Amino acid sequence: VIFHSLDFFAFFIATVAAYWLLPRRAQNVLLVIASYVFYGWVHAWWPVLLCATTCVDYWAARGMTIAPHRRKLWLWLSIGSNLGLLGFYKYFGFFVENVAAAGATIGWNTPEIALRVMLPAGISFYTFQSMSYTIDVYRGHAPARTSFIDVAAFVSFFPHLVAGPIMRATNLLPQFEQERRFDPAAARDSALLVIWGLFKKLVIADNAGVIANKVFALQSPEFFVLWAGVFAFAIQIYADFSAYTDIARGVAKWYGFDLISNFERPYMATGPADFWRRWNISLSTWFRDYVYIPLGGSRRGRWREAGNIMITFLVSGLWHGASWNYVLWGGYHGVLLLLGRVCSSPRVLTPSGPIRVAGMFVLTCIGWLIFRETELAQLQRHLMLSPWETTPLGRSAGLYLFLLVGMYSIPLWIHDIWGELRGPNLSEAIDHAEPAVRWPRVATQAALCGLMVAAILTLRSQTALDFIYFAF
Amino acid sequence: VSGVSRGQVLSLCAVVAAAAVLPLGLRAVNAAIAGAAVHASYLPTIETPRPRQPFDDAAASALREAQPEFLIIGDSMAGVRIDPRHLSRVSGRSVAGLYQQGSPVAFWYLQLKNMVVGNGLTSVRGVVLFFRDDQLTTQVHVNGPILDRVARDQEPELDRVFAAHRLGRFSDVHRAARAVYQFDLTRAWLEPRLLRAPAPSQQLIDAVNNEIFALDKLRPFAAADLPHAEEALLDFDAQVGRSVLPLILELADASNIRLAFIRVQRRPTPAGPPPQTEGLTKYLDRLRAYLTARGAYYHDDYGDPHQPLAAYADGDHLRSDQRLPYSERFAKQHAAFLR
Repeated sequence: VIFHSLDFFAFFIATVAAYWLLPRRAQNVLLVIASYVFYGWVHAWWPVLLCATTCVDYWAARGMTIAPHRRKLWLWLSIGSNLGLLGFYKYFGFFVENVAAAGATIGWNTPEIALRVMLPAGISFYTFQSMSYTIDVYRGHAPARTSFIDVAAFVSFFPHLVAGPIMRATNLLPQFEQERRFDPAAARDSALLVIWGLFKKLVIADNAGVIANKVFALQSPEFFVLWAGVFAFAIQIYADFSAYTDIARGVAKWYGFDLISNFERPYMATGPADFWRRWNISLSTWFRDYVYIPLGGSRRGRWREAGNIMITFLVSGLWHGASWNYVLWGGYHGVLLLLGRVCSSPRVLTPSGPIRVAGMFVLTCIGWLIFRETELAQLQRHLMLSPWETTPLGRSAGLYLFLLVGMYSIPLWIHDIWGELRGPNLSEAIDHAEPAVRWPRVATQAALCGLMVAAILTLRSQTALDFIYFAF
Repeated sequence: VSGVSRGQVLSLCAVVAAAAVLPLGLRAVNAAIAGAAVHASYLPTIETPRPRQPFDDAAASALREAQPEFLIIGDSMAGVRIDPRHLSRVSGRSVAGLYQQGSPVAFWYLQLKNMVVGNGLTSVRGVVLFFRDDQLTTQVHVNGPILDRVARDQEPELDRVFAAHRLGRFSDVHRAARAVYQFDLTRAWLEPRLLRAPAPSQQLIDAVNNEIFALDKLRPFAAADLPHAEEALLDFDAQVGRSVLPLILELADASNIRLAFIRVQRRPTPAGPPPQTEGLTKYLDRLRAYLTARGAYYHDDYGDPHQPLAAYADGDHLRSDQRLPYSERFAKQHAAFLR
């Protein structure tokens, strides 16, 4: 079920109504059933994979407690099964293609293996989340749970199942184990956040996405048209992904759960390190804790640290998809981060705040070009384009598309600049829900809700696009 | 749910109510801005009143003047295969093409009804329709505006077909929301203004659409613009009664116009024709029997040796240099129909 459908609205109303009539244990059972229905709505076999992941990780964690001397074996069973599942569904075709291509260069013709498997939505998210549970149990950061239902609810919790944020067992599992109370103040703030998320997705992301798709469908776009398209994609991916997070957080709140904020105004970042503190936070911290630190982090000298950063970013890039451009994108950001460290040393003069923000946004956009362009030959061509070799129509068209995207994204910029200067913004407000009712605040929220619903009805893109991160 | 203050619940209700009530303001804005331009839809089952583009009188009048003997109707599948002037030359018949890129079957029906039968084209002896796979019976739903240029003020037959195909399980909710909030009407006047706002002139927008994003500027894609048939929709007998196809056949029969249906070959593989499921093969057998039993001519391009993969550009489109040879082959192969 997708969030912006009446199917989901009906599903949500029915489950919320039933949920608050039940005791805690039954609530968790309901959430598991609802999550499996949600996930299997279109493809009934997807929940089988989800269930398999849950069973393996539940028993791996239990095994670590029951047979502590075999903890490592259980850990590798969990990691192996999760990465095996991910590898088969996401990377098998990529692996076969590259082996065949490498073989062909040395004259070794491999037999053609044609295996096209459909990538189940969200598999990268829930396998990482589930795997973090067994790793945390192995490390002693979390106890192995005896309740299968609680673990199943943790792995499958539908609001964030398909596109995150990736929650940790230490944060989310305890919430399934405690009594929950309906909080109307939090529900009110969440309603606003959900509507804001829908607005970002349907009005900003989809309208910008249509422009980005058109530009990236061109054989030879001119410089200004291309970069207007890149700008459109930068807006699309941020609005789209953060919209999913906002809706997930808002919906989860209605069931009494707190999900972490995944974005902290990333386009206000002043440098590469700052950007990664603000963008897809749950994934960045996952890679930090489960890849970068186990590799040695910054503990083994500068060169090793630089190597660890590059490995982490390359793997993070590959996580996004089975294509070399994602690896390149990860590598690009790894290099940016290393350069950022050099530039942030006291001996290097750095420009002031707004210029750094603008500069980082441009660097981020270059990254988005690498991320969006899956054909490497085209990417090379795009990067060689010169602003001096353009036609008057190309320049005017680029400016027009740029302004059009800018116009659709005005609310996003206002929201983020407001949050940066005055804070908290809509996304952060639900973490500060006040029990006392302040009517001027309620009136503002009500007006914003009404205006955004009107805007969604009238300005939503005619072309509905999938959430981008569903593909990962 | 206990220990909840009344004020908190009221504040929650206020926010939810505002989300539902405030958008009603769109009605007042519409009345002030777009009131006069609104027309009742020719598809009242799926649409509320909205501004509409006028019927394409210029095209209708050009056809009346030309008085062709044969008409080719279809989307880009027809457009990339038949050059009407060349077909006229090689067949010795006057042929005209009514192509509309991305057009659905309902569009073709309205072309036949309003541009041919209702347009006084007494010269027309036959109409050729190009289609893909199950397109004739499953591609029913369309957004109204795409039909504006070929629709009259009332299209009760088409509306009845659409009524049988509601838009999913919440179609009535969608319809009620459209009627209550009138957001389609708002979109109709607001969207063009928004698109124009950052442009110095309408000419620039036209140039962006027609030159920057022209079809020949796009990358060649192997993927077709029409998805392959869904197995669940390949039950011909269940689908045909709910489709526009019977309307086309009845209209042509009543007007003494012969119909030819040409199923185009979709993009082949390097090894040969595209793979075809058992369900689709069965569907096509039923379609052929249905059409021929009603006096229509049917031909399937599937497996045509003149259409290997090398003859294709992107998707299911033939390369532009294939248009003339295809037209010539068409004249020879279907000489009996063009007689």
